[in-house]
Amino acid sequence: MKNYIIYILLGTALVFGACEYDNYEEPQAILYGQVVYDGQAVGVRTNGPQLELWQDGYELSKNIPIFIAQDGTYSVSLFDGEYKLVRKAGAPWLAELSDTIIVNVNGHTEFDVPVTPYFSLHDETYQVGNNTVSVTFTIDQVVDAAAIQEVNLYLGYAVLTDQNKNEHIAGADISNITLGGQNTIQATIPEHLKDEEYLFVRVGVRSNMSGEFSYTEVQKLDI
Amino acid sequence: MKNLYIKLTFICCLFLMACENEEWLERQPQNIITDEQLWNDPQLIKSLLANYYNRIPTLHGVFNTGGMAELDDAMWSGHQDQNWRNDFQFGDDYGRYWDYTYIREINLAIENIDQYSVELSDEEKDLFKSELRFIRAFIYFELVKRMGGVPIITEQLIYDFSGDPSSLQIPRATEQEVYDFIYNEMEAIKGLLDANSSSQTRANKFVALALESRAMLYAGSIAKYNAEMGSPISTDGGEVGIPSGLANEYFAKSLAASEEIINSGGYEIYNENPDKGANFYELFMQKGNSEIIFAKDYTLSLKIHWFTYDNIPRSLTEDNESSSNLSPSLGLVESYDYLDGSEGTLRYQTAGGDYIAYDNIEDIFANKDARLYGTIVYPGTTFKSAPVSIQAGIAVWNGDTYEFRNAPNLGDNYDDGQLWTGFDGPQDNARDVSNTGFYMRKFVSEAPGASTRGVAAENWWPWFRLGEIYLNAAEAAFELGRGEAVGYINTLRERAGFPANSLSALTTEIIRKERRVELAFEDHRYFDLKRWRIAHEVWNGSDTNEDALVYGLYPYRVVREGHEDDGKYIFNKVRPTRFRQPRFFRMANYYSSIDPNVLNNNPKLVRNPFH
Repeated sequence: MKNYIIYILLGTALVFGACEYDNYEEPQAILYGQVVYDGQAVGVRTNGPQLELWQDGYELSKNIPIFIAQDGTYSVSLFDGEYKLVRKAGAPWLAELSDTIIVNVNGHTEFDVPVTPYFSLHDETYQVGNNTVSVTFTIDQVVDAAAIQEVNLYLGYAVLTDQNKNEHIAGADISNITLGGQNTIQATIPEHLKDEEYLFVRVGVRSNMSGEFSYTEVQKLDI
Repeated sequence: MKNLYIKLTFICCLFLMACENEEWLERQPQNIITDEQLWNDPQLIKSLLANYYNRIPTLHGVFNTGGMAELDDAMWSGHQDQNWRNDFQFGDDYGRYWDYTYIREINLAIENIDQYSVELSDEEKDLFKSELRFIRAFIYFELVKRMGGVPIITEQLIYDFSGDPSSLQIPRATEQEVYDFIYNEMEAIKGLLDANSSSQTRANKFVALALESRAMLYAGSIAKYNAEMGSPISTDGGEVGIPSGLANEYFAKSLAASEEIINSGGYEIYNENPDKGANFYELFMQKGNSEIIFAKDYTLSLKIHWFTYDNIPRSLTEDNESSSNLSPSLGLVESYDYLDGSEGTLRYQTAGGDYIAYDNIEDIFANKDARLYGTIVYPGTTFKSAPVSIQAGIAVWNGDTYEFRNAPNLGDNYDDGQLWTGFDGPQDNARDVSNTGFYMRKFVSEAPGASTRGVAAENWWPWFRLGEIYLNAAEAAFELGRGEAVGYINTLRERAGFPANSLSALTTEIIRKERRVELAFEDHRYFDLKRWRIAHEVWNGSDTNEDALVYGLYPYRVVREGHEDDGKYIFNKVRPTRFRQPRFFRMANYYSSIDPNVLNNNPKLVRNPFH
């Protein structure tokens, strides 16, 4: 019995003793910020577009993906050092693969990533009417080669509302969209949402250059 | 002492005798087959070829039940531990394939035949080498479908230990070059495969042409439809993307290959059973029928598969676990048109939203394309000559509306002594029973014991069949603006029970729908949607897009005393609880990402777009 206890103690000591040596120190620095165009954060689909970090000077290289929150903010834990940031394709903004941004990370580092969305949305105001939600917004063309594919108003139960997660979509007639001017989309609140106290709303636009939408900030709307 | 001398003499004699026969030391090893033996023995070469044929890659094919549950044609209704198939998005590496080990083995085999085979005739050598080149081209086709242009390596690469591996680092060929490679290889070998002309499981001339037909169709449509995108997917070096000007050339090559197969006379559309639905099912089950061009064969006790164990309707399983892993979707069922040519949408509700009552549970499926019967087990049909028991529950009229009630156990009877919920469900949020109201019929064997793990199934997997070649021909001819296109589709529709010449003109939509219904679960849909560049629109990940979702249709028996609908059946469209996330295909999925380790090993490789 005594032997047994000694073995257990010995084993435990080994397990704990080993731990100190075989781990790397965890990254302490944090790089955070938002993706911005014209001083304004660009809203995205949750778990959608990504940025990418690379670090030179090692034998093997592997990208470090940066996930962007729906409101356009991001944060990533890193070691101090110099990184290259890439605005990759698959986002509602121009991919700038050869134009990398050098970011020096030192402790808590804030860095706003400038992006060029194909279309930008701003000055959105919502009105709640008799069983309807309508939104007035301005839409600007930023990239000349792009054409509008879809403009939608989204209604959802939660802050994570976008093209994929939503309870209702109201699409705008693309031929009536005025670039640079005011546009309106009206949505009739569907049966299953009528009894809600509030809804989360947001407008999104997709160009023919990308599969992703860029969005306005999500707003909580009492209905 | 004397004895000792005798013994010594005897031993010395032994030594002397043994030494004379030097050949005795030159024995062949018992556990190693040398290159000289292997490459001079056709039997050994064939068994090696069997290994290579067996490893031909596939994504959702070759009885891959799980893979088939990842698109819009079906959902997963087996064990909960694989429910991620109903709750995932196509990752950056979805469909990634990079098997240069396999390619090296084939390159090595081709070189070894040249080097070591002295006892084989030239015809035999050409045959084996051509088969190896066919398999290699098939691998490259699988690579280019998923990854775009890849390094084309046709000989073994040998490291010279100089410390500089750059001679082994081959850059990617363009996507166009890989498709051209496949075409040129098939053109080169198609005349050398005559000895296999009666085989359906080894490459022959028409198998080579079938690969040409499919690959050239892919190349043509990528050239055409990529250019039509708002921002075409391409790289500067052409590793991804084919110039649009080449589309017609590729379509013409595909059509020529298809026509040669169709006009050869060696193959014909399977049409043996006057029951068109059963006929379509038998097409896959009757081995050796003349529609199959190239198949992967199975045989009991030697090489079997578990597709029947996985997918047989629940009440008919002979095993104590599994069954019913795939629940085909309502979307697929509805894509089968009615025989009068109208859209296949099932009429379960009036325009006003009232349920339509049917006398018999199968009546709602009456007059549908017979391929529906041949592909899917739906309520009111039979499997293995036994009726399936598909009924979700009862619909009780509460004076105002129908209340749907499901039995606590499958097979229970309701208070009125009649069936409440069928032995085959459907049951929502349940395991090993259909969650959509439909079961698989295609590829599910009716043989005794086929659904047990001990016996399992031996029906074969068709890599190429004449039905696909007709569709390839129709699509290529249509893209080229040729009038004969519609005839090919009409032939297939006639086999499915439509009247002769049921279509007078084709559209892109008709061709795409025909491919979906004819080739369902044959590992085509994912790649078809990719090459047409519509996958990101069809599977856009939106909860409000029915194309990206899997729905079910639950049949209920009406309990409404005194009413004319009492005892009839109504149907309710449901979104199964286990189906969690709409299918979501991003631009990044058109070409899978290359493994970072591969990129690190070969700096000359260009990354795919979006990765």
